[in-house]
Amino acid sequence: MWLPLLGLILGIALGVLTDIEIPSVYENYLSIAVLAALDTMFGGIRAQLQQVYDDKVFITGFFFNIALAAGLAFLGVHIGVDLYLAAIFAFGVRLFQNIAVIRRILITRWEEYRIKKRKNSSESR
Amino acid sequence: MKNNPQKSGVWSRKYFVILTVCIITGFIIGYSYNLSKDNRQITSSPTLYTQQQDAYREELIEQQERNKELAEELDEILETIRKYEKEYTTNEERYDELVEEAERLRILMGELPVTGKGISVTLRDDDYTGVTNPNDYIVHESHVFNVINELKISGAEAIAINGQRLKTNSYISCNGPVITIDGNQYPAPFVIEAVGDQNGLIGALEIGGGVFDQLLNDNIVVTVEKKEQIVMPSITKGNL
Repeated sequence: MWLPLLGLILGIALGVLTDIEIPSVYENYLSIAVLAALDTMFGGIRAQLQQVYDDKVFITGFFFNIALAAGLAFLGVHIGVDLYLAAIFAFGVRLFQNIAVIRRILITRWEEYRIKKRKNSSESR
Repeated sequence: MKNNPQKSGVWSRKYFVILTVCIITGFIIGYSYNLSKDNRQITSSPTLYTQQQDAYREELIEQQERNKELAEELDEILETIRKYEKEYTTNEERYDELVEEAERLRILMGELPVTGKGISVTLRDDDYTGVTNPNDYIVHESHVFNVINELKISGAEAIAINGQRLKTNSYISCNGPVITIDGNQYPAPFVIEAVGDQNGLIGALEIGGGVFDQLLNDNIVVTVEKKEQIVMPSITKGNL
């Protein structure tokens, strides 16, 4: 359970410590990549909680989403339309939806756990 | 579930995938944080520079406005000076006249000490014979008045009685055997000194039926002297 958190912290440390310079033109892509990565992560957590998790879907979704977002932004820059806004919008909405679903599932589970515990305690009495 | 050995391989792969994704996500987040931090530093220094530039520009504008104001002020002052110069060239003669006039008026006021040619009139009580009223033989202030008025009319610049300078608002009153001039008492004989044209003054006094005749008629001994050098102090000194 601590593995993902550990990985996240490790990744952040790596990212902060790296000193690679990229042109400021590609910063938009990076922000979209951040959004896509977060979205995929929360999507994975949701899938895990809903027990529909699949390795292939998760890993392909992660990379494909990032690539798609970057591609959209790239296309947008080249045709003069701010397409990266579409990606940000889509990922933002999905992020919030995923988080909401996760929250509901967790709340439901917690309530079930409490009811079960109460039943157990009453039965033991 | 965990106890199932068949699923443990699946679990480890799953964890590996999750770990990879987490690391990549973390890397992207950290990297973009780093980048935006750098950007903030880069963008913050130009803003500082721009702020400085703006401040300098404002200061420059302020200075220029001040310069403009000062230049206008200078123009105004120069214009005024030119006007004064023009006035001066036209009025130079008049100024000289005014200065002379002021000098003359000051002498009349008794504010300046005066030296110059003039005459001295001495009024002396006649020797009392004891026959008639003694008042008829002494000098009264009316006699002094007559002499002073005559002298003033005939153009005396300055008059003094017994060394006491007369000013325009001096008063003279008879006080028994003495006369009081501006609060100082003087006994007879009275020496009236006048600065001015000697011949004119004497002529005015000695005119037929004039002051001298009246004085002689009142049994007063009058002597007139021409003086080459009469020194009169200013009233301020005289009052001391």
